[in-house]
Amino acid sequence: MATHMSRCRSWSRVQRYGIAAYREYSGGGGGGGRYPNLSLSSPLPGIPTPLFASVEDAHGKCETRITTLDNGLRVASQNKFGQFCTVGILVNSGSRHETKYPSGIAHFLEKLAFSSTAQYGSRDEILLTLEKHGGICDCQTSRDTTMYAISAEARGLDTVVSLLSDAVLHPRLLDEEIEMTRMAVRFELEDLNMRPDPEPLLTEMIHAAAYRGNTVGLPRFCPIDNVDQIDKAVLHSYLRSYYGPERMVLAGVGIEHEQLVECAQKYLLNARPVWGDATPATVDLSLAQYTGGIVKMEKDMSDVSLGPTPIPELAHIMIGLESCSFLEDDFIPFAVLNMMMGGGGSFSAGGPGKGMFTRLYLNVLNRHHWMYNATAYHHSYEDSGLLCIHASADPRQVRETVEIITREFIQMAGTPGEMELARAKTQLKSMLMMNLESRPVIFEDVGRQVLSTGKRKLPHELCALISNVTASDIKRVTAKMLRSKPAVAALGDLTELPSFEHIQTALSSKDGRLPRMYRLFR
Amino acid sequence: MASVCRVGSTVGRSLAKHRSPVLLSLRRGQRSVSYAQSLAGAPETRLTALDNGLRVASEETGHATCTVGLWIGAGSRYESEKNNGAGFFLEHMAFKGTKKHSQTALEQQVESMGAHLSAYTSREHTAYYMKTLAQDLPKAVELLSEVVQSSSLSEAEVEQQRAVVLRELDEEEGNLQEVCMDLLHATAFQGTPLSHSVLGPSANARTLTRQDLVEYLSSHYKAPRMVLSAAGGVNHEELVGLAKAHFSGLSFEYEGDAVPVLSPCRFTGSEIRMRDDAMPLAHVAIAVEGASVTSPDVVPLMVANAIIGSYHISNGGGKNQSSRLAAMAAEENFCQSFQAFHSSYSDTGLMGIYFVTDKHHIEDMMHWSQNAWMNMCTTVTESDVARGKKALKATLVGQLNGTTPICDDIGRHVLNYGSRVSLAEWDARINAVTPKVVRDICSKYIYDKCPAVAAIGPVEQLPDYNRTRSSMYWLRVVTMCSVPVWLSLVLLLPWCAQGQRGGPDQDQDRDRDRDRSGLLSAWFPPEVRPLLRQGRAPSRLPKRGQQGSRFALSLDVPTSILSVLIDLAKNQDLRTKAAANAELMARIG
Repeated sequence: MATHMSRCRSWSRVQRYGIAAYREYSGGGGGGGRYPNLSLSSPLPGIPTPLFASVEDAHGKCETRITTLDNGLRVASQNKFGQFCTVGILVNSGSRHETKYPSGIAHFLEKLAFSSTAQYGSRDEILLTLEKHGGICDCQTSRDTTMYAISAEARGLDTVVSLLSDAVLHPRLLDEEIEMTRMAVRFELEDLNMRPDPEPLLTEMIHAAAYRGNTVGLPRFCPIDNVDQIDKAVLHSYLRSYYGPERMVLAGVGIEHEQLVECAQKYLLNARPVWGDATPATVDLSLAQYTGGIVKMEKDMSDVSLGPTPIPELAHIMIGLESCSFLEDDFIPFAVLNMMMGGGGSFSAGGPGKGMFTRLYLNVLNRHHWMYNATAYHHSYEDSGLLCIHASADPRQVRETVEIITREFIQMAGTPGEMELARAKTQLKSMLMMNLESRPVIFEDVGRQVLSTGKRKLPHELCALISNVTASDIKRVTAKMLRSKPAVAALGDLTELPSFEHIQTALSSKDGRLPRMYRLFR
Repeated sequence: MASVCRVGSTVGRSLAKHRSPVLLSLRRGQRSVSYAQSLAGAPETRLTALDNGLRVASEETGHATCTVGLWIGAGSRYESEKNNGAGFFLEHMAFKGTKKHSQTALEQQVESMGAHLSAYTSREHTAYYMKTLAQDLPKAVELLSEVVQSSSLSEAEVEQQRAVVLRELDEEEGNLQEVCMDLLHATAFQGTPLSHSVLGPSANARTLTRQDLVEYLSSHYKAPRMVLSAAGGVNHEELVGLAKAHFSGLSFEYEGDAVPVLSPCRFTGSEIRMRDDAMPLAHVAIAVEGASVTSPDVVPLMVANAIIGSYHISNGGGKNQSSRLAAMAAEENFCQSFQAFHSSYSDTGLMGIYFVTDKHHIEDMMHWSQNAWMNMCTTVTESDVARGKKALKATLVGQLNGTTPICDDIGRHVLNYGSRVSLAEWDARINAVTPKVVRDICSKYIYDKCPAVAAIGPVEQLPDYNRTRSSMYWLRVVTMCSVPVWLSLVLLLPWCAQGQRGGPDQDQDRDRDRDRSGLLSAWFPPEVRPLLRQGRAPSRLPKRGQQGSRFALSLDVPTSILSVLIDLAKNQDLRTKAAANAELMARIG
């Protein structure tokens, strides 16, 4: 192996200085010279004995360790075998913090992430540096968190952390980059309205309806009018308030904790951000106020298909009620309830395991073949949450669609069947565990939990909590939820949409039926 | 990534023999922990064979979940014209109830475990697998053994599934990438079983009977051709125990000893086009015969594919993408997407480029795709190869993200290679790839070979086959001194145009520029001259070298160009002579 390497190296030197004249082309030589001409089904000689990881040594190491640096930044890590690691910085900053600023800053920051920094002249330089370690970088913003993450070979940890620190604390925010970002944001807004999948748009609308004008109800996507308003000065003033070390977590998966702490001390402890000292006094600490309400968007959806196969015209309805924050104990029963509702698309492929026995399949999709989609979602934040059901059908059947959703909501308050509950609990556990198979998901889990609670609940603790959920828990949380005012988002041709008051009446009735409408003329 | 080879299976015969798992843990050399050793920071893959030949392979990763499945060396390649599609039909029947459980009972059991049950059929492989919580492993193996060994296959159910299969065939028709790849196989392997599609023709879906399915099942689902593979929170001993309990009854004998032997599949350079001007986009695939799964050449070919890369219109990056073809596609809007692919089967393979574009850019895409291939064969640079190797390694490691991909990897490896090829071994093989290896191996498979072309959609612009074929080589003038100087020339598009179009490339790194011998400016780089002079040292001169260089044409060139080339070579010759004279004069002087 060693001789192999050294020979390659000397050869590359020839290649570099000896130029074209030495090159042999096809026909000359034929076989690959030093290249091992050995079938893949027989082992390559000369490979060092692998040191296999075994589960026993892994168990001790695989717990989350957390250290707080002197400046308040938390470092959390979890070891995991494999030569790649995912390391990133999570910041407690998102669209919900934009009350005193023009909406859309978080969206801009997401798009601007990993652009030129103090050390690196351009995004290309960053990518080139990462490529040396087989790495990729990504930034994602949600309503309450911004996440800068890099996946790379564990050996490149030092470079990775230095790059992260640079990207988060020392972005240059050049004029041309901001201009490019404006274009990217405009493009994304346009794309959002054209996409056949209405899910992101509906989520945005139902948040606006549920938390009218406050915190998580603020737009996650930059409103088109704000695109030109946001510039370097605005961004810096925002960053000064929200990008303080005490609002950040450096999380890593697949690395040693000591190593990560060492790197954090080197690159993040005394790093002075480019926007100067933090002004934490201006941080918006308001709690989410659930208001309920309706947001409608009348839109011609008769031709949304981007490909050759046409998609039928659909109207999309999403109805939600206030659930609870992920810090409350009721969060787990709500998660089980969400799993029990399940649902999906009526034409989705896949064998057993996609949730064929969830309520939205059994009660809705299997009974009403005209429905195209019925899915339950649960959004939860540190101070509030929202459980909603999305359904799509032909615009002429909007009224029935709404009634089907409201009836499902009312039926949640009944006692769930024993089998059904047990199945939902098992499915929730297995979904949790299956998601945690992948490194980036563990990273996100570690980072988010440490950011919001300062510690991490391990998967098996969560599983124990899920096991403890009883039918009466489900009944209790549903009863509480049904007392809240509904939030409604509707998209498409809405001529048949019942009024908000009627939806509200249906949700406070016993059977979930909409009040009857007497119409003289049909 | 498509460049990662989608492997088929090994032939039945070679399935019987397998590598002892002990070999995996043999010490091979060094003591200290090297990079390659630390690569194996993954757990060991353990392999055991049962008495009936069924192999059990697992990797214990300590996850709370696991994937367990049965990988079978059977697929559409083992089907005849008459029963093509039987394997796919059978896969459909699998979840429709067993002798013990009705369909609803089966579904309910799987759902209540919080598990996922899936299956796939390819040309040489069939797999049934289940993803579940680790503690449910015994139940999962039991259900899998039922699904595979005692599927109910009732007449009524066959009739019911016929409609479903036909609907799926209809839907598949809408998946133009699949259709295009099926057409490519149909033309490239015409007259051999590899030309069959996995789904089979609709005529067969209408006529296949329960008897056909039973026959297929009994002649292919044999223990030595099966691998019970698992990854995640699984204990190997436990798994072997479960396998013994549930799979010992599987037969390993063929009726009348009629072991199905695969007929060798022949590759035919050919073309198939389905023109439909009403379609918005053209789907085109061009491929040459690639390497078989076990061939060591697979690795350099995968590196080459990683260099060519892939692109989709929604990719960010624009002209900054590292793949040159992708950068060009983004900047010039040449295509919606393209992908370099390599599918390998037990004795052959397909290496190609698939692209989707509008009707006005088919010619451009063909040209630049083939150009990318020619670059691989002749001028691929050090930095390209380094990048390709990195990308390939990252993909290999990166795709093993979770128990299901690992389990799939184990299953296919054991069927293909007889054991799991460790990451350390892949790494060593990739490290051994140099630009020369890429050039040599690519030349071996691509250069001056007849390609197979498949195209659907508004494909009027697709070049005639002879033109496509003639872009599979570069005409070059060969100037032979003791040091051979090879020059290449693209004929079909004037190279001055290439010089302009290649604009974005020119600012790339210096290595690359120098290697672009297709460009006129790089024909005689200044560095050549001292070397040429050096080459003239009397001791190393060939006999006819004294008269200057000899030039030969590798292929027939139109005379007008020929005369240009001769003039150029003469000039060059004169210049070197003048330089030599000057030097001589200087010495004498």
